Amino acid sequence: MESITITFKLNGKTTAVAVEPLTSLRSVLREHLHFHATKAGCGQGGCGSCTVLVNGESVLSCLMLAALADGQEVTTLEGIGTPQHMHPLQAAFFDKFAAQCGYCSPGMIMAAKALLDKNPHPTRAEIAEALAGNLCRCTGYVAILDAIEAVVTQMQEA
Amino acid sequence: MSAELFIPRSLDEALGVLQTYGSGLLVMGGGTMMMAHLNEGVFFPKKVMSLARAGLSGIYRNGHTQIGATTSLSKVSQLGDFPILADAAYQIGGPALRNMGTIGGNLYMPQPAGDMAVPLLTYDAHVELASASNSRTIPLEAFLAEPRSRHGTQELLVAIHLPNPTGRTAYLKLGRREANTPSVVTVGARVVLDGQGQVSDVRIALGAAGSIAFRAKSAEAALVGQALNTNSIADAAQLAMEESDPFTDALATAWYRRRMVGVFVKRTLEQLVK
Repeated sequence: MESITITFKLNGKTTAVAVEPLTSLRSVLREHLHFHATKAGCGQGGCGSCTVLVNGESVLSCLMLAALADGQEVTTLEGIGTPQHMHPLQAAFFDKFAAQCGYCSPGMIMAAKALLDKNPHPTRAEIAEALAGNLCRCTGYVAILDAIEAVVTQMQEA
Repeated sequence: MSAELFIPRSLDEALGVLQTYGSGLLVMGGGTMMMAHLNEGVFFPKKVMSLARAGLSGIYRNGHTQIGATTSLSKVSQLGDFPILADAAYQIGGPALRNMGTIGGNLYMPQPAGDMAVPLLTYDAHVELASASNSRTIPLEAFLAEPRSRHGTQELLVAIHLPNPTGRTAYLKLGRREANTPSVVTVGARVVLDGQGQVSDVRIALGAAGSIAFRAKSAEAALVGQALNTNSIADAAQLAMEESDPFTDALATAWYRRRMVGVFVKRTLEQLVK
């Protein structure tokens, strides 16, 4: 079994890892590098819980060959905030009770970040469309939309 | 088990890999279908080629429009001059999936996925296929009718070619929910009206209504020379239902799909009346 070495920027830090050729980016993040915020949900592209950013664009890390991350910049939830210094989206999910079990939250937040980085003043409908690929099975979407809308309002006032 | 992964940096390199490994090679565009199969353990390929870095992405205009096979669905969803192609792309998955999925890969998706074929049939698309020794451009209809196993073992889909569109277009997708769902049925239509308001040319394409996306040709033929009105639309919808050969899956029964072909052909054509 030939493994391949891939080198990429993970949350700003150059990272090298040797993996089997067909390993998904999600497996590399969770199993090789122990970045567990990115979740393994359906593995089929249906749930969005594995959403990360590659060069600022949202992708489903389950469906991306890790080999294609070579030379790219990958951002996971761990890269945007810490428990002490939460990203405004994380703080808003906390304040607005937008996480019940929390399994979908990292994917939701990364999808929302991809939206706000491009369009800082989305309408509620645009937020909903940006989350079209992210399923939540317990919290319900209203609190999640409220949280993201609160961040948009904060950004407008700031 | 060992596997070997090829990530060619050019079309020539990709065609070389294909020539060497042929039928033993699994080819991926954006990987959104193949990676799902790999994650599920559906199969365990020995040789895999990703076209993600082969330089096949991009949209070019030179009298007509050429869309590279690995152009993302996100990029396709921004094509203002082909509104129903853009709309159909936007209705696939969510943003992250559309950033990965490619228009070329989508043409290899089995029904009821593969929504791109419907607007592309509506716009009279041709596809360009290349092998190490040859290349050919054929109507999308002929491509869809060829066995899928032929492509990917001998040839790669390189680009999609679109003539400048004429007439009015409409596209509707019925899913089990508003977004991020395979289709129960999809309908694309394009009509060109003459000076008297009669149909001089028309395309009606159906998705998830048979084993491949196809044009409802008897419905098209019935509309030519007619004004678009309640009667002509009802006739076309009925003929489209009769031409359909839908299937039952987890989303819908064949019985339901056939009826929805009628309803959605009617609604799509009604959007073109003015």
